[in-house]
Amino acid sequence: MQKKTNFGIIVAVTVLSLIGLLMVFSTADLHTLTKQAVWLVIAMITAIVLSRIPPRFWSNIAPALYIGAIILLLILLLTQSSYPKRWFKIGTISIQPSEFAKFATVVFLASYLAARKKMKQFSDLLVPLVIIAMPAILIFFEPDLGSAQIFFPILLLMLYWAGMPATKIFIFFSPLVSAAASFIIYVWVAYFIGLTVFLYFNKQLNDFIYGTVSNFLAGLVMPLVWNLLKPYQQERIITFFSPWVDPRGMAWQTIQSKIAIGSGGIIGKGFLSGTQKKLEFLPLRHTDFVFSCLGEEFGLLGIILTTLVFAYLFYELLLLTRTTKNRFSSIIVAGVLAWLGYQTFVNMGMTLGLLPITGVPLPFISYGGSSLLACYMAK
Amino acid sequence: MDENIKKFKFLRNVIIGTAIIIIIASIKLQVIEGKKYSRLAEKNRIRQRYITASRGKIFDRNGIEIANTRPGFYVSVIQSMIDNKTLESISKILDIDKKTAQDKFKLEKNPFMPVKIAHDISYRQLSIIEENIDDLKGIEVGVEPLRNYPYGELLCHLLGYVGEITHQEIKRLQGYSINDYIGRMGIEEHNENQLKGNYGIEFVEVDARGREIGKIAEKRTIPAVNGQDFYTTIDAVLTESVAVYLEKYEKAACVCLDPKNGDILVLYSKPGFDPNLFVHGMKKKEWEILNKAPDAPMYNRALMSCYPGGSTFKPFVALAALDANMITPEKTFKTCTGKYRLGRRTFKCWKRHGKLQLSGAIIHSCDIYFYQLGVFIGIDTIVSRISKLGFGKLTGIDLPGEKKGLLPDRAFFEKKYGKNWTEGHIFNLSIGQGDLLATPLQMACAYTIFANDGEIVIPHVTKTDDHAYHTTNISQASIEIIKEMLAGVVAFGTGGLARLDDYVVCGKTGTVQNPHGDDHALFIGYGPGEAPAILVCLVVENAGHGGSVAAPAVGKIIRTFLNNTRLTQYAKED
Repeated sequence: MQKKTNFGIIVAVTVLSLIGLLMVFSTADLHTLTKQAVWLVIAMITAIVLSRIPPRFWSNIAPALYIGAIILLLILLLTQSSYPKRWFKIGTISIQPSEFAKFATVVFLASYLAARKKMKQFSDLLVPLVIIAMPAILIFFEPDLGSAQIFFPILLLMLYWAGMPATKIFIFFSPLVSAAASFIIYVWVAYFIGLTVFLYFNKQLNDFIYGTVSNFLAGLVMPLVWNLLKPYQQERIITFFSPWVDPRGMAWQTIQSKIAIGSGGIIGKGFLSGTQKKLEFLPLRHTDFVFSCLGEEFGLLGIILTTLVFAYLFYELLLLTRTTKNRFSSIIVAGVLAWLGYQTFVNMGMTLGLLPITGVPLPFISYGGSSLLACYMAK
Repeated sequence: MDENIKKFKFLRNVIIGTAIIIIIASIKLQVIEGKKYSRLAEKNRIRQRYITASRGKIFDRNGIEIANTRPGFYVSVIQSMIDNKTLESISKILDIDKKTAQDKFKLEKNPFMPVKIAHDISYRQLSIIEENIDDLKGIEVGVEPLRNYPYGELLCHLLGYVGEITHQEIKRLQGYSINDYIGRMGIEEHNENQLKGNYGIEFVEVDARGREIGKIAEKRTIPAVNGQDFYTTIDAVLTESVAVYLEKYEKAACVCLDPKNGDILVLYSKPGFDPNLFVHGMKKKEWEILNKAPDAPMYNRALMSCYPGGSTFKPFVALAALDANMITPEKTFKTCTGKYRLGRRTFKCWKRHGKLQLSGAIIHSCDIYFYQLGVFIGIDTIVSRISKLGFGKLTGIDLPGEKKGLLPDRAFFEKKYGKNWTEGHIFNLSIGQGDLLATPLQMACAYTIFANDGEIVIPHVTKTDDHAYHTTNISQASIEIIKEMLAGVVAFGTGGLARLDDYVVCGKTGTVQNPHGDDHALFIGYGPGEAPAILVCLVVENAGHGGSVAAPAVGKIIRTFLNNTRLTQYAKED
């Protein structure tokens, strides 16, 4: 998407993709590996082609891309007969529209934000929120909580990068914090008092009224909404906080993932010889839990290397947002950074038992054509 | 641009911070807790499994298996793998209480160790489980050796049974796993240590679904040690005959022993239960029905029920009198008119016997003669001699649960009735009624004084050449006199129905007055008279007269045994 090819990013992405191929080979069969390799080539070619297209063209077709993505998601929801409605099956390959929706949404939101120089009012927040919310809600109903949640950090970072003050963003989204806190009444009361004091010293009457009222309502409504969640979603959230209660349920995955990584030790059990992986204790070995296999087979060294490459990639992307003079491109890169960065963190966090299991693949490394393609397009 | 730098620095710090968090979390898992997780990974992968030891067989005196093992299918649960849904469906398939199963496998501390929750499942249950094994995570099925009793109810009291070990027993005893059976009652309980053997442990590598991948080279299997076989003195074939002869009676106890060495040939009690039922793990309800039934089928009457000896006790009183040289066999007392007055009370005899000497009194079982004899020689003479015969003491048989019975003496009467206990109590004791209580086994042993020339055997079911006796110091001459009279009882007295054509049978009838219902019929006899090979004590509850009910059955038992022995001998000679 940028005219000058960034050498650092290409190296980082190539290294990660190679690690990905290695792990897919270790965790799955040759057939899967071949498929992944084909997707990798397609993704690379697409990335090269896309990067030749000037930003102006992107900003022009952004609305069309976005509407197309929304329609795709709608078709998916309406035509597929059984849950979960996450994939289009065309012959032997299945395509995941949510990955393309992320890409389209980032581009469209960037084109919207690039047109606005000043971002001070709450009203400036509303439109981006709607832009993000539409695909997010559709994906949420697939149901795919993991993919849906990624839209939120994308929105936050793009807003922040586009010039919205952090305090504004916080106050605007503070009802969400209130909702989260509402599960424990004492925490919520403490939070609410703290927020009120903060808003008072912020000396903005509008903010004060909005903040207090919305937070109060959110705290009230959240317990009701909780009951509308799917039982397995509730379960996932609950078991995160008490993983040993039901070792064969959701927490089983967390425990097995931790055992895999932990038993890897410093240098790992060696390529292709992870017992957790081999004996199928690890679920979704080549997609969501590929990082656990990496930790088991290559140990701490493998994890540190991978993490550093990711960190380097994100740092390069961050540099790119600054050096790119085009405001539209800059915001896109910020969105991509949020997207990939968040996804990376959530995936690693869940395999390490730091975060609940939300079925988010690890960019570049996990098996999956759609996500690979999307990642490259994002680049 | 300033603001952009601020934002850039902030985001850069976020990236660095996140990377550090990830790395620190990995270090925590892989370096600090690495050993713990390695252990967990091993436990995941390596499944320990108990190997059940095969229980030793039990043989009768002729080498017939009276307890052996057969293969059966079990279902076991691995705690760490099973979830609530699976537990529910498996309980439904097995028709067991979910809670019961849960209680059982919660006892095993190692959550990766399979715990058996059901034994001997049917083929139907097995096929349902096998069909759905992919959905039943944490469930295993396998084959194990199960206890089997070919004779079922026939030898139940003698053999006992095996039941699943309880929580308390696991804590108290060593060398048991939660999957083990333990012997209860009879030989199974008494010889538990010899029969049980020791379980082994094998290690196998499994995958996440519990499918076996293979044995593990670095951890060698600890093999199970099978239990040792146990050889008894029991005659299973004779016991079968006994059961047939007693078919029409509901409650009975029969002890047959070799009077020369104390080998127990038959130890039979009726009603009984099927010991094979316990192998399945009995449900609480079934157990309660069995345990609380009014006719007490779990109770081994042969060594746990105490009966007054009745008239079978009379020869001992006579023996005491002769041994103390207080009478001669020609001694007579007041004529038996069917009634005897003592103060205001009248004691009865069961018929008018007229004038009798000692032999007549025994042969025709005259109560009035023995009332007077008892009082004439006094309680101390009776008790001092008869206590040597084993009344009021354990016989020392190698089986659990034996009762002591009671031989009342002066001290006992004084304690129970105060200073004013009367001759009436001696009357009752002299004819084996009142406070006297003895088990059929005790009575049988006491009679070996006649069948074994003055020595009382210590009964045993273990096959051994090492026999032990109680000596009694009772004069051989007195014993010989009573022996002749016992032959007379069968030859022309109350025990006539025990008479056999080919053999001389000696014995004594007894009819025990039962305040709760019909009289109990007793007969104790042995044969052949010149060289006794078998001594039988038979009690048939609520059946009437000893002479008409018990004596004929004992006659048949003795004939069966002696005929069988003779046939075997002929076969050997050929």
